Amino acid sequence: MASEKERATPSRKSKASKSKDSILKQKSPAEFFSENKNIAGFDNPGKSLYTTVRELVENALDSAESIAKLPVIEVTIEEISKSKFNSMIGLLDRERLDEELYGDYETEKAREKRLAKEAREQEKQAKAAAAGKKVKDSNAVKLGKGRGEALFYKVTCKDNGRGMPNDDIPNMLGRVLSGTKYGLKQTRGKFGLGAKMALIWSKMSTGLPIDIWSATRGQSFISYCRLDINIHKNVPNVHIHEKRSNEEGWHGAEIQVTIEGNWTTYRSKIINYMRQMAVITPYAQFLFRFVAATPDKNISIRFARRTNVMPPAPAETKYHPSAVDLLLIKRLIAETLKQNLLQFLQHEFTSISKFYAERLIGEMGPEFTPKMPVKSLTAQQLVRIHQLFRQAKFGEPTGECLSPAGEYNLRLGIMKELHPDMVATYQGSVQVFEGHPFLVEAGLSLGGRDVKPGLNIFRFANRIPLLFEQGGDVVTRTATKRINWNSYKINQVQDKIGVFVSIVSTKIPFKGTGKEYIGDDIKEIASAVKSAIQQCCIQLKSKIVRQQQAHDRQQRKRNLSKYIPDVSRAIYGVLMEMADGQKSKKVKYDDDADDLLKKVALHQITESTFIQKLGQHVEQVDAEMALEYATQSGMVDTAREPIYLRTLESDYKFALELHNPVCVMKLFSDF
Amino acid sequence: MEAPRKQAQAALAFRKRLKPDNAILATVRKIADSAKSYKPQTQSLADLNLPNACKEVVDLSCASVMAEIEKTIINIARSILGGNGFGYSVPSRSSANQLYVQELDRIVLKDKASFRPFANMASVRKTTITTRILQLVHQLCKKQIHVTKRDLFYTDVKLFQEQGQSDSVLDDVSCMLGCTRSSLNVVASEKGVVVGRLVFVEDGDRIDCTKMGVGGKAIPPNIDKVKDMESDALFILLVEKDAAFMRLAEDRFYNRFPCVIITAKGQPDVATRLFLKKMKTDLKLPVLGLVDSDPYGLKILSVYMSGSKNMSYDSSNLTTPDIKWLGVRPSDLNKYKIPEQCRLPMTDQDIKTGKDLLEEDFIKKDPNWHKELEVMVKTKEKAEIQALSSFGFQYLSEVYLPMKLQERDWI
Repeated sequence: MASEKERATPSRKSKASKSKDSILKQKSPAEFFSENKNIAGFDNPGKSLYTTVRELVENALDSAESIAKLPVIEVTIEEISKSKFNSMIGLLDRERLDEELYGDYETEKAREKRLAKEAREQEKQAKAAAAGKKVKDSNAVKLGKGRGEALFYKVTCKDNGRGMPNDDIPNMLGRVLSGTKYGLKQTRGKFGLGAKMALIWSKMSTGLPIDIWSATRGQSFISYCRLDINIHKNVPNVHIHEKRSNEEGWHGAEIQVTIEGNWTTYRSKIINYMRQMAVITPYAQFLFRFVAATPDKNISIRFARRTNVMPPAPAETKYHPSAVDLLLIKRLIAETLKQNLLQFLQHEFTSISKFYAERLIGEMGPEFTPKMPVKSLTAQQLVRIHQLFRQAKFGEPTGECLSPAGEYNLRLGIMKELHPDMVATYQGSVQVFEGHPFLVEAGLSLGGRDVKPGLNIFRFANRIPLLFEQGGDVVTRTATKRINWNSYKINQVQDKIGVFVSIVSTKIPFKGTGKEYIGDDIKEIASAVKSAIQQCCIQLKSKIVRQQQAHDRQQRKRNLSKYIPDVSRAIYGVLMEMADGQKSKKVKYDDDADDLLKKVALHQITESTFIQKLGQHVEQVDAEMALEYATQSGMVDTAREPIYLRTLESDYKFALELHNPVCVMKLFSDF
Repeated sequence: MEAPRKQAQAALAFRKRLKPDNAILATVRKIADSAKSYKPQTQSLADLNLPNACKEVVDLSCASVMAEIEKTIINIARSILGGNGFGYSVPSRSSANQLYVQELDRIVLKDKASFRPFANMASVRKTTITTRILQLVHQLCKKQIHVTKRDLFYTDVKLFQEQGQSDSVLDDVSCMLGCTRSSLNVVASEKGVVVGRLVFVEDGDRIDCTKMGVGGKAIPPNIDKVKDMESDALFILLVEKDAAFMRLAEDRFYNRFPCVIITAKGQPDVATRLFLKKMKTDLKLPVLGLVDSDPYGLKILSVYMSGSKNMSYDSSNLTTPDIKWLGVRPSDLNKYKIPEQCRLPMTDQDIKTGKDLLEEDFIKKDPNWHKELEVMVKTKEKAEIQALSSFGFQYLSEVYLPMKLQERDWI
């Protein structure tokens, strides 16, 4: 695995510097990442818990998708109390002897203060209770959580994927950068660290090994392995490795890791992550459970499967000449099976035909020939090739290797998790940034359950949700600054707007160390995002307009009737005055008016007469306009919407078939 | 340092060129005499035989207003009882329906009207408010009392919601009934002030405007109660702003040069325009305008002279044609050596307003005015009346105005 060592730059660097200064220690990749764990998303215990969950979930999805199996994934986070943790590592609980030694020791003064505060609090609560208000029991929460104590969690993730071959398990998990994701391919993983980083974190925070159960398809046994990692040597340290019976014919993997974390602060992030994952992956079934130390805080959320349509697995592709660097060219030459330069250029890159390869070689200079053996190229010659790759013009890569979620899945995902009033989706065409194809899909929803008024932005990169550093992201900037929502009849402040943008690419140009957002400075991506969102807006606009018309129609009668009393009172008021004037013979009116005023004076016409007559008139006008509206819009009140039917999960017995020109309906027999 | 001082000296040199007051008065008297022969505009819309019909309103007595309202109410009551709902035909006051009439030198309203039915989402509110206002005005006329627009608004805040709505419907109502807004017995709260050689009777009280201190007499909102104007003034000085008015009043400018000074503190309200019109007709005095040298100063002059678009239906009662533009004119900035630091660059909005004004008929009709405005738009500089204070606070009353009068420098 020469290529890996080359890629693991940290180790190369330290090797190089070692020759100069022998005091410098060599650092293994595992060590490097353990010391720089923030770049892999392990900044603090809370984030570490979050990242552990996401790495495990993403691995599980990849695994199931790689064998075209609809994913079923179970995630469990189990809270472990201090004493339980101690017993797990075989440490006895010790009583504190010297109380003042501890950071959370309460001095006499602090204690008085706290008691006084608690007394006040109680008094307040008693008052509130007396007033009949509901009281939140805030004290109980405070006492339940130990002060200043590390919190431990056991995270388990079980999938129905490919599983790992028995003998490969230690290396797949116990060695950093020994992953399977090194081709050029649209992948979920950001660093190729995945579960291994979780293992390093568990080693750092709890020292407990991880447990793995795994079976490949058709395998008669389950491999069970308990291992931890030797960080200095970057090798797995296997505790147990055995085969167990597999009576149910299960395949997949289950990984269990015990780490330090913080559920309280990252609870919403983790649940959001699961929810957004369910949006972009509606063909998967997730079961998320949190098992708390006290059962009343347990959480169990099931994200059901809504479709059987799974996007095809992303295909591995070759590099585009404009996307390679010198190191990569060297690696490709080392790995290639092609003998000569012409074949190498033609077969190891996209967008280079045989004819084009010949032209390129001709351009490289006299010392290059099509038939020269590719492995004999000197370093200078490689630089020449690299330079030419930079300067020459190439056809753009096709997007065939990409696997977008698809409008169908995106729409389903949004509908199932948000239950919006309206939704629109759009898939853009493949575009290219620095030799890597990318594709932008967007969804736009209005209204829905648990959606805050204003813009709610959901970002996905290679079909995983991005939750952090939203502010600088190209999607956020585009949605907040460059879309004129008003022109689509959408109120940016009051409407519950869901903006979903999913970008897939063979290389997502992340910004920042945590790879949590895509910069706003890439023109190609920014304009693709903008146009995708706008396309959705245009789709929604016509629906909104039609809905508003329907709404206006419903409101018309109510709004008109609202003014009837005011008008009637005013008219009747003037008529009364006139009638009074007439009675006292001050004023003379013509005959018609005279007749009317007499009726007013005799109370034959009163205010309610006008109210009634106007009411009838409004009703009549309303009916006329409704009829007119219906003839215009073809009797449909709301916009037509496609419906998606869910396939049945298991076999049912059917009795009757009902035929009609559009479809056939089958009735269940066992109901 | 040198240049500004020189400039200031040059400006103050004007003071030396001033002739004795008597000599100045003699020139002013000449023009005052020529104004005596001024005949109020006798031509009316009807005389002109314009191709398009125009809508104009007249002053009506309370009884006639009541009769008009009653006629309207009886009609709509009948329409409702007949099951046909109701609506009002309201003359449109949009700018598309305005017409500048050269012969009359004012804006008039064309006869386009829109029908506002009750049973329509777009017009139900206005129609309801109109009905309510009709009822309220009916009461006012019956009791023969006056209220302000604000009072009117507060009689039914719940329906009117904001004063802008009741105000605009009030104008619609006066258009609809064909009477002036004052005939509806609704007045705007007082805004304008007058000071100087003017004596008149307001509701039986004799008012002497020379004995009004420095604040001046508030112009009564109800012009009907103003009677018996008398004056020994030679001209009327129309001032755009309060500050300049204060200066002139405090310096008792009207005693040095007999005149009446009037201001509406910015955009003129109906009462001030009516009062100016009445003075002009009754006293036959020339009117000299002192406004800022910016597009808004000109706009204000235009409202006094040709009327505002909003009230064009009543332009015959509100406009005072033949106002002379005394200053501060764009050409004055260099002529009177106003220092650079007192001139302001015009904003883009200012320039746009200026350019729009150049296209307006009321500017176009007078080549001198047009030329001045062109100077302003070209130099892109504006100055307020207060810019004259850079030579001393009293420069306005002691040098600038006497100089202007002496030179008969108005257009």
